[in-house]
Amino acid sequence: MTLVAGLRAAAYGIPFQPVAGVHGSDIARLNGWRKIADPYGSGAEVYVIPPIRPDVAVIHANEIDEQGNARVLGSPFWDHPLTRAARRVLVTAEKLVPSGMLAAQPELTLVPGFMVEAAAIVPGGAWPGSMHPLYEVDYPAVEAYLKDEAGALESHLAAAPECRES
Amino acid sequence: MDWTPFSYIVINLARQIRPDEIAFSGVNSTLPMLACLLAKRAYDFHFTYINVAGGVEPVPRKVPHSSSDPAIVDGSPAIFPNEDFYDLCARGGIDLVYLGCAQVDAEGRTNVSVIGPWDHPKVRLPGGGGAAVMMPTAKRVTTWRTEHSRRALVEKLDFVTAAGNLQTVVTPIAVFQKRGGRLALESWNAEVNRDEVVQRTGFVFDTTAASPTPPPTPREQAALAELDPHGLFAAEVNS
Repeated sequence: MTLVAGLRAAAYGIPFQPVAGVHGSDIARLNGWRKIADPYGSGAEVYVIPPIRPDVAVIHANEIDEQGNARVLGSPFWDHPLTRAARRVLVTAEKLVPSGMLAAQPELTLVPGFMVEAAAIVPGGAWPGSMHPLYEVDYPAVEAYLKDEAGALESHLAAAPECRES
Repeated sequence: MDWTPFSYIVINLARQIRPDEIAFSGVNSTLPMLACLLAKRAYDFHFTYINVAGGVEPVPRKVPHSSSDPAIVDGSPAIFPNEDFYDLCARGGIDLVYLGCAQVDAEGRTNVSVIGPWDHPKVRLPGGGGAAVMMPTAKRVTTWRTEHSRRALVEKLDFVTAAGNLQTVVTPIAVFQKRGGRLALESWNAEVNRDEVVQRTGFVFDTTAASPTPPPTPREQAALAELDPHGLFAAEVNS
């Protein structure tokens, strides 16, 4: 939530974002977060989080068109604040769709094309994670990747969709 | 035998939900996810279940291994993603939040950040995942540990990740509730005796109002069997 607050500060173009809670946590001291008194006089103190401005956000979308308009189906998790906070947005997508097709349901477009710098079509690109509604988490692949043994990383990378010739 | 460690934790987590509440389960929270799904099956009252994947009243076709798997959104009539549920909690709109811990102290503060000093950690933990905001702003917080030991239930935390409205702690052998600012024993698993709970806990607590935990009801047991038909979730806790 403090991460979202930092992303919001960047997205809103302001030097800090107030956030609820945090009181009593050592995380505030660790990060040097300050709290300020309510300037309207309620007596409440609120932590304020500095901006987090990623240089690049990379998200994976279901569909993208030639203009870079990208549609994400299912739960968007962090995609919305991330793409608004970052300086540059890159998109990988399952599928290229014809220009104009996304206009039929523009509310499903998570990132408009003018925000997107570059895109790549990578079917299966969320692997070993899931992509609603196309495929689920590949738990055996996650477990194989986690093994602390020689070659685990190499065999994971060799199996990745983006590393295979299509 | 009434209880296994697995059934004791899941069912006692489920028992914290009250009628008409909004309950939330987060990341790395398989047992609370199962508890919320169990409560839907075993209790007749209405409550709203929302989760970290954005699910609202999901009816998953199968229970995913991970509590943040998008499969736990299946059947939801709405998607309520990260920003929405954090904001809802921040404005006081979530009644019960389940937040994990590595350590919990007698005041109900938790550590999910580090074992040992921050700069020279013995174990670096995954971090709070929003706990520092949710614990002070949720109406009630419940935490759980699959290990009941003096290194998990401690007099002094190595690091305070979150503090605030923690109300309940569930372990395989006991349920604690906060009373007057400190955790007190509410009930214990009758498979062990009360002194064992005292010996395995790193802080001093009141036991005067405690009684053995009521055994699982047939509906609670049936719901748990339905959610974990092959005992895969149970094996991770009971082994």
